[in-house]
Amino acid sequence: MKPRRPLAPAPPVAGRLLDAQLHLLDRQVLDNDGVPVTTVDDLELSGPALDLELAPGTPAPVLTALLTGPVLGTRIFGGRPPSSRLIRIPWKDVSDVGVVLKLGVSGEHLDAGWVERWIRDKIIARIPGGRHDPR
Amino acid sequence: MILGDLLGVDVHDDGGARLGRVADARFVVDGGPGQLLAEARLLGLVVSPHSAASFLGYERTGLRQPWPLPSIFRWRHRGSFLVLWEDILMIGSSGVRLREGFTAYSPALD
Repeated sequence: MKPRRPLAPAPPVAGRLLDAQLHLLDRQVLDNDGVPVTTVDDLELSGPALDLELAPGTPAPVLTALLTGPVLGTRIFGGRPPSSRLIRIPWKDVSDVGVVLKLGVSGEHLDAGWVERWIRDKIIARIPGGRHDPR
Repeated sequence: MILGDLLGVDVHDDGGARLGRVADARFVVDGGPGQLLAEARLLGLVVSPHSAASFLGYERTGLRQPWPLPSIFRWRHRGSFLVLWEDILMIGSSGVRLREGFTAYSPALD
């Protein structure tokens, strides 16, 4: 069947619509203090099983996590890192989706910010004056 | 599954005819209540016959400015449609198959 114009509008839904490419992917993520944590490199869904026919009435998969990680190379040349190399921020920690994604938790203990914390603690802190706020 | 694996793959109808590629995945925040936001369930996939790349979503909104960008992007995505989760028969590593008699809805967001 070939879709013909004009198409009927989609059935109305109660919740807010989010298109992954438009509203989620590549957006900046801020923690509950407004401090940047990371950007959304990919998303993880709860399903479905690949290459299996879906029975009618199968519940739709839900977003389980925002993914981030070492994706610079794969963004340029294609593919993606193995799933085990990606860092997950659970969807239940997301408090708002707007121009940026806001988390309801502190970013200080998230794995996603470890590089920044490591640079702060091991490099910046060793520079004279690097242990206090600039005046 | 990881969404990036799904974006850009071919979409076929039940007879095997190619309809386009997955340009986007639409979620609706109306699932079970969570700690802060409700669960976001997959509502459907936006399928585009000509280009899986999207730029700022001009083709899914009523924006007309700045001329001529919206017109160009709308033309690039002509024939795009939204197919709901209920009409998806199979999601595979090499493509998506739709159920017989699936309904193509407008991909417009507003």
